[in-house]
Amino acid sequence: MEKTPTPVKDLTYNQAVGELENILRLMQSDDCDIDRLAALTRRATELIAECRSRLVATEDELKAILNPQ
Amino acid sequence: MQTSSISLLELTRRVAALVQQPETQNVWVTAELSDVAVRGGHCYMELLQKDERGLQVAKARGVIWANAYPRIDAEFYAATGQRFATGLKVMLRVSASMHPVYGFSLVVSAVNPDYTMGDLLRRRREILMRLKQEGILELNRQLQWPMPTQRIAVISAPGAAGYGDFMNQLYNNPQHLRFVTRLYPAVMQGASAPKSIIAALEAVAADAHMWDGVAIIRGGGATSDLQAFEDYELAANVAQFPLPIAIGIGHERDITVLDYVANARLKTPTAVAEWLVAGAENALAFVMNAGNRILQLATERLTGYKEQLAHAQGLLPIAAMTAVERQRSRMERAGAALGNLSARRLHPQLTRLDMTLQAIAQAAAKRIERERTRLDSRLTLLEALSPVATLRRGYSITRVDGHAVTDAAAIAPGTLVETTLATGTITSRTLPPRTLPPSE
Repeated sequence: MEKTPTPVKDLTYNQAVGELENILRLMQSDDCDIDRLAALTRRATELIAECRSRLVATEDELKAILNPQ
Repeated sequence: MQTSSISLLELTRRVAALVQQPETQNVWVTAELSDVAVRGGHCYMELLQKDERGLQVAKARGVIWANAYPRIDAEFYAATGQRFATGLKVMLRVSASMHPVYGFSLVVSAVNPDYTMGDLLRRRREILMRLKQEGILELNRQLQWPMPTQRIAVISAPGAAGYGDFMNQLYNNPQHLRFVTRLYPAVMQGASAPKSIIAALEAVAADAHMWDGVAIIRGGGATSDLQAFEDYELAANVAQFPLPIAIGIGHERDITVLDYVANARLKTPTAVAEWLVAGAENALAFVMNAGNRILQLATERLTGYKEQLAHAQGLLPIAAMTAVERQRSRMERAGAALGNLSARRLHPQLTRLDMTLQAIAQAAAKRIERERTRLDSRLTLLEALSPVATLRRGYSITRVDGHAVTDAAAIAPGTLVETTLATGTITSRTLPPRTLPPSE
């Protein structure tokens, strides 16, 4: 099922957070083997970056919002 | 005839004298407020009485002079959380007054807030009861704010201080949390507020897919006539709105019926923004915590695997040697076993082979012996048959022209005859034949 994970950009926020929770659960369980460790961590990092970027605006965006031309 | 007249001033003074009787002074009167305005510290208003159909049956101008207004206002606000505003039912102590220039008015000297309070509560209770009977009271309160809530439709008066506070609070959050807002402008004061807010809600509903929730906000302002919000239609619209609504209209003590039906009830626009920011902060904190936890778990796992590997590495040389040793002894055991096995299996074979070999040798010897014997007997026979033996016994062979002669009659006299003896050959010439007597 993890053959080709959906690009994080195409996930809804809830899907991304849900997947993050799944990874967390998987890593806490004993089923996590080392071959997947790197892939899972990389995926988690992507998910976090995506969630974070959706939650947090950049300095430029803020400027644009607060000082509309 | 000279018609006498009095001055207008004189007449108004007479009216004033008639009006300002003990019966019209310091009278407690109940009325509904309208067109409240504060100018130069004085508070002007219209006092109304309506019949059951809402038609005005009495109307008078009222005024609270600047020397009394702060005290009355403070007392009223402290008790009701309201300021004098259109639609409020009030009980006032008034004195009728007639001014030559300004005309008839009722000068207010005191207020009984309990009356207003009771009326407000009664009306609010009526609205809430009706919403409950219709089964819609809790609808908006039961909605969930999406996680995260970032897209907010804002219903407010454009340019209002409260809207500015809200936007500043929302967008200047320390974590730079991202929000998307759009202002759906509405009149937030006065009798037209409910209709205007309902229209704004309908506009939001048309874009419902674009928004996570709605913020209805109104900055306090100097006078806040929240009376307008005590409106059944508005409350019903808020209660049934498909998106969760956060209310922030007014100051700390202001409560309206909307606070009972809206999903989230905050005191002020700033409080609404703080609440939204806190929600998004939670979402962010969750993500960051999950990230940290995953990093930690990954590190722990990796460390575990490394330790395992190091352990295995330490064991490896010994393990290899033991393995080799074990293999060697196994081979030896196997070799020995094989030896035994071959011996057991081969020995009979070899024995049989040996025996066969002997048998063959014996058979060959026998054969040779037999052949020799046969040869020997043949030799004897041969010797016996050989002419040499006959010759030795005294016989001879006579040959003419190389051919043996057995009939003397065949030899003409004078023929050259060759006689072979056991040893040597005699050549002779024959004499004429004679008849030999019969053989002895």
